[in-house]
Amino acid sequence: MACKFISHEDTNQWLEALAKDHVVFIPVDDGGSVTFRPYGEGRKPVLDRMPVRSPKEAVFPQNETLLTYKYDKDPEDPERTSVRIKETLPKERAVVFGARPCGTRGMTVFDSVFVNDRIRDPYYATRRENTLYVTLACHEVESTCFCHEVGSGPADTAGSDVLLTPVQGGYTAEAVTERGEKMLEASFFADGGDKCAEAEAVKKATREMLGEAHDFSNAPEALLAVFDDDEFWDDQAAACLSCGACTYLCPTCYCFNITDESTGTTGKRLRSWDTCMSFQYTLEGSGHNPRTTKGKRLKNRVNHKFAYFPDTYDQHLACCGCGRCIKSCPASIDIRSIVKAAQARSAQKESK
Amino acid sequence: MQALAELKEQIRQALPDLDVVIGWQQGYDALHTSPLFIRSEEDIDKLVVNEFCVVNPATYLREMRGGKKVGLVLKGCDSRSVIQLLQEKLLKEEDLTIFGFGCNGVLNHTKLQARFGDIGFITSLENDGTNVTVEAGDKKETVPFTELCADKCLTCSYPNTLQCSHFAGEESAKQADSATDKALEDFEKLTMEERFTFWQDQMRRCIRCYACRNACPMCVCKDHCLANSREPKWLSEDVDVQNNFMFQLIHVMHLTGRCVECGECERACPMDIPIMLLRRKMAGIVRDVFAYNAGTNAEETPPLMCFKVEEPTIEERH
Amino acid sequence: MSGSTGLLTEGQDLRIVGFLCNWCSYGGADTAGVARFEQPTDLRVIRVPCSGRIDPLFIARALLSGADGVLVSGCHPRDCHYAEGNFYARRRFEMLKQFLSVTGIDPERFHYTWVSASEGQRWQDVVTSFTERIRKLGPATKMAGGTGYDEECLKEIAAAVSLGDQCPCHKEKA
Repeated sequence: MACKFISHEDTNQWLEALAKDHVVFIPVDDGGSVTFRPYGEGRKPVLDRMPVRSPKEAVFPQNETLLTYKYDKDPEDPERTSVRIKETLPKERAVVFGARPCGTRGMTVFDSVFVNDRIRDPYYATRRENTLYVTLACHEVESTCFCHEVGSGPADTAGSDVLLTPVQGGYTAEAVTERGEKMLEASFFADGGDKCAEAEAVKKATREMLGEAHDFSNAPEALLAVFDDDEFWDDQAAACLSCGACTYLCPTCYCFNITDESTGTTGKRLRSWDTCMSFQYTLEGSGHNPRTTKGKRLKNRVNHKFAYFPDTYDQHLACCGCGRCIKSCPASIDIRSIVKAAQARSAQKESK
Repeated sequence: MQALAELKEQIRQALPDLDVVIGWQQGYDALHTSPLFIRSEEDIDKLVVNEFCVVNPATYLREMRGGKKVGLVLKGCDSRSVIQLLQEKLLKEEDLTIFGFGCNGVLNHTKLQARFGDIGFITSLENDGTNVTVEAGDKKETVPFTELCADKCLTCSYPNTLQCSHFAGEESAKQADSATDKALEDFEKLTMEERFTFWQDQMRRCIRCYACRNACPMCVCKDHCLANSREPKWLSEDVDVQNNFMFQLIHVMHLTGRCVECGECERACPMDIPIMLLRRKMAGIVRDVFAYNAGTNAEETPPLMCFKVEEPTIEERH
Repeated sequence: MSGSTGLLTEGQDLRIVGFLCNWCSYGGADTAGVARFEQPTDLRVIRVPCSGRIDPLFIARALLSGADGVLVSGCHPRDCHYAEGNFYARRRFEMLKQFLSVTGIDPERFHYTWVSASEGQRWQDVVTSFTERIRKLGPATKMAGGTGYDEECLKEIAAAVSLGDQCPCHKEKA
């Protein structure tokens, strides 16, 4: 992998150049919290804090219009109506700049679900093909970081097209994909030189800050062993408020709902994020709800990431270790400790 | 920590007659606590009481209805929500045991974050009541408590738990730093257009996770909120400014004369949207017009549940 | 309800929503109509059983969804068909009225009052003066925007008008 260098000043010019034919999402200070917003005049990227919102929304926006429709009344026979439907495939080309490796890694989870040998979701696939991820490696860690425990790391390249690493005066840039290589052909990039060694040192130092990794490799079996242990799950979920902060901010949560939103004779079919932490998520049309308690709902969130997903798709955990769910939880619920508790509980059961 | 030891002892005595006691325990790092559900003796030692005990344990009461005997460790502000719920006859007094103490204020994570980069970067924090010393990375700074505490603590006039069955430690002599809410006062200096733009901008980052609603101790509809109703359909699934703000108005209107200003909605908001401005404004109007302070007297009737034939404080509208 | 004064034709059409109780104010409006009192036509009336039925959220929602004004009218206090519906309503409306300013929605855009079934003349005054007031305030600004692409869309909406189908924003914002 060739290593190049771009200075801080040139980075801004590069963004400017990219913004000419892309929607460039950058992390900005948005009333005190950091969110991804389109690059525009006067907007400076905030790169020293992890964005609160995850980079998934560039490819999987909270609301995606799938189609629009209009009902027409037959003037001859007002009882008869016809409907016109217009498909709305996304056309934007986008760049996500300054996401963290954990957040970008989340996209690999989406990739396995939305584009595989059985399914190709046209909306997702189109956006994914038209979106480039320029990711920024971390040089600091937080109390909620645990990327190293889920098979990732502070300089993970999974999902990215380009990986930047902060060094003196700018960033080193490595292309991860062919598309990324193309991006680095821009005139703003110089040869990395001795900056590359500095970047490697930064990556190593950050990884060391994270310390020893807890082993989650037996998590699927452990979680399934306590599957029917309602007491355990009710206990873990006692503090849960059943809000959707964890799932909506999660870079790997991909559940959605589809609704028709109409006003008068026109409307649109909308795909929106859904959250398994909500009572409505499994509420059936009959009024019956198979997931009656928040314990069962929390079980689904944790198990999906640490058991069901790895069982279904190549053993990878569907958790990228970014810690957003922990940090943003109003009750400070920690997914790490839930899985650890399940591991301990199943070990205890076995030894009995 | 005299109060903590006393609290633990009082809980130990009362626990045999209770199904659960809700308090706080140490969270995943030194700056966070999470709710603690004490069901057995060994849980009691996990109890902590400090400036990070932000969650209002009364929020969990909506799940505990139906004859459960519940104990609650409550700050003064939290206890107001219990009184309000009692007043609305949503709880039975005989089911509750309240453990009170004197609170000297809680810290606000958003303010800490704004000051020190990110909450996860803070490595140590010491609070002596007037000053807070924070270490983050290679920065070490001492900041007055009033600059980092929750907004509600600045105007707090109920630092001691109201209507409690047990009180531990000494009463807090904490005085309100100001009688009026400065944030709201500053906001109201803006013109009508500026306020409109302000909300339009704030609501853009709302993700409609409903943390504000679910963290609210007065939101007793639980899983059957108007916001999720399809028929009638109050809100579209569109997470846009208009619908997001409409939800805020739904919350505010449903809390008129009920909101105890515990600030949980704003604290719970993962996007740090200052939605307490709306709640405080409404609570202020209720105080002005009906001389009513929610959650301070279980014998009163909420102002929107009653009326006067002649309303001396309402100007007649022609 | 139509007439021939300049009031009805000048300026753009306003969207004013009226919530009227069935027993008094709706009757009052009817009386005004029967008596052929001239009235502006911007008001769209929604008849409700009682002013006590009017959830303040109806008003909030109308205002947020683009109404330029909301007029609410019920039976005079002490005259409610259901004895006390309007007493409760009065408290709720007053709360909303005073609250609106903090949202940046001009409280002048909302008015609540009492008109009885026999007060055709009074109805004419109420509806005329309220319409006048809204006309002076002009059309209300609509809250708009969302996150991400939506925002980009807003920014380019002006340019998109000339671009037509070429617009990079596939989302059609009403």
